[in-house]
Amino acid sequence: MTTIIKNIQTSWLKYATIGISGLIAAFIVTLLALIVTRPTLEGLITSITSSEIHFAIMLSLSTALISTILCIIIGVPAAYALARYSFRGKNIVNALLDMPLALPPLVAGLGLLLFFGTTGFGMGLAEMGLEFVFTPLGIIVAQWFVNMPFMLRIMRSTFESINPRYEYVAKTLGCSDSQALWRVTLPMSANGLFAGSVITLAKGIGEFGAALLLAGAIQWKTETLPIALFLNMSCGNLNMAISAATILIIISITALYIFEKFGGSSRF
Amino acid sequence: MLQIQNLSKDMGEFFLKNVTLDIEQGEYLVIIGPTGAGKTILLETIAGIYPPDSGTIILNGKDITHLPPKERNICVVYQDYMLFPHLTVEENIGFGLVLKKMPKDEIKKRVTDAAKLLSIDQLLHRYPDTLSGGEQQRAAIARAMVMDPVLLLLDEPLSALDGQTREMLRKELRRLHALYNITIVHVTHNFEEVFALADRVAVMNEGDIVQCGVPDEVFRKPNCSFIANFTSVENIFRGTCTSQEGASAIDVNGLTIISSTCKGNGEVYATVRPEDILLSREPVQSSARNSFKGTITDIVNNGMVIRVTIDTGIPFVSVLTRQGFDSMNLKEGEDIYLTFKASAVHVF
Repeated sequence: MTTIIKNIQTSWLKYATIGISGLIAAFIVTLLALIVTRPTLEGLITSITSSEIHFAIMLSLSTALISTILCIIIGVPAAYALARYSFRGKNIVNALLDMPLALPPLVAGLGLLLFFGTTGFGMGLAEMGLEFVFTPLGIIVAQWFVNMPFMLRIMRSTFESINPRYEYVAKTLGCSDSQALWRVTLPMSANGLFAGSVITLAKGIGEFGAALLLAGAIQWKTETLPIALFLNMSCGNLNMAISAATILIIISITALYIFEKFGGSSRF
Repeated sequence: MLQIQNLSKDMGEFFLKNVTLDIEQGEYLVIIGPTGAGKTILLETIAGIYPPDSGTIILNGKDITHLPPKERNICVVYQDYMLFPHLTVEENIGFGLVLKKMPKDEIKKRVTDAAKLLSIDQLLHRYPDTLSGGEQQRAAIARAMVMDPVLLLLDEPLSALDGQTREMLRKELRRLHALYNITIVHVTHNFEEVFALADRVAVMNEGDIVQCGVPDEVFRKPNCSFIANFTSVENIFRGTCTSQEGASAIDVNGLTIISSTCKGNGEVYATVRPEDILLSREPVQSSARNSFKGTITDIVNNGMVIRVTIDTGIPFVSVLTRQGFDSMNLKEGEDIYLTFKASAVHVF
């Protein structure tokens, strides 16, 4: 008798939970469809081909590309250290490096604004011509800071999944430490690196909060796709806003697909 | 050739404790010990992967304790092959030669020679994950051999392979050792590899070498109960094998043991599991081809089973259940017959 009740309960739970996940999926599809189908096709095409959206696409792409490269240059070595070496304070460093992930992007942006706008170091950089406040450079830094933990976590788990004995063998065959990393571990991490880059790039293109505070929302200057969406929405220019959103949706779906295909094994 | 003196290294779970070991030129040394004995960390410390906490390693008169691995010319082959998955077999074998900046045609020639030596020359263009375990291990051995190392370290190289492949590769290792007179240190937990390959065997436990010597001596006269228990090799005999119609006769100190698994003639080791030996008061008429008379020299009660040692000129150990033992009423010093089938004799 008890087993029968238990069976009924299990199947009740099964259908309820499946139902909930189905509802969420349907809700997501509804939202995306609402955005994409809102304007007429003609209006959408006009907006997408407009020079303002064109500018936003180019600015988003170029800043995201540069910030992704920065994430690789800085995140990969840090991830390697955290995966391979044990050192004092490693746990604290690990937690701190993940911090931007939990931080609201607006707060991160505020911190960056204060750093580059009010400290001697930031003002010194500005005097040297490296102006980050309300400039495209600021967008790059904001994207880099917010997206770094993603690259770091993906690469850390990638490195951790590679047996260090591959490097040991390489060293006995004549590699120095850095050669073993360059010739063996990095090529073996290619999938993780690719997945990390795709996610960083896609998130960089969509970065809003931190970039808004540091680089501002200045039309034709720091107007990335999300900023274009925000500015045009604010002044009731719905077609332009939606065309920016549509492009962002396409980028997200593509990135998700690529990530699932190549980086499925990376946890982050 | 290689002198290890008072080597210590603490890595938490695994550690070395004052290891002292001399390895001679051209020797095949097998290190045997249970999991966690520190065998792998000893090999990796010899290779220079970790700096030891204390102690010295001297290679051909030169102190290499703090030399980086690439300057030691000591190669390692692991149980899990560790072939670089992003490189072909050819690129894997040539990996070290490329780092030596050797001319391309010279690399090609050496890689091909090494591949031929290990019968994997048909697989050079393939990637490691398309190879069988045995093929991968051959490639890993070729990758080490091509470097012409002064010392070859093998970390349980046969443990991941199935029985038949393991036996083939074991023969291959013996052949390579004979061919190049290369000094080999081979770590294992399989005692068959000790008898099949070792010039000398070192037994390791809890980070230290507890006994070192020729296999016969170590296994016959273990210097502590740990070795006796760990090896727990009973009824292992060295003898001369001669083929007889369908079976083989192994002459062990004048006693002839018939085996159905012996291949070819020559020096072999034979083992019989204690539980395969039947004890009886009178000679048994059966198809079993081995039957001897001996004297009970020792009876040990292990709780579950009773171990009886019988001297027939060579010592045999048999186990009995408590019930069987009680009904036979055996006592030390009594004469007894023991019988076992030819198929129960394992030869290697």
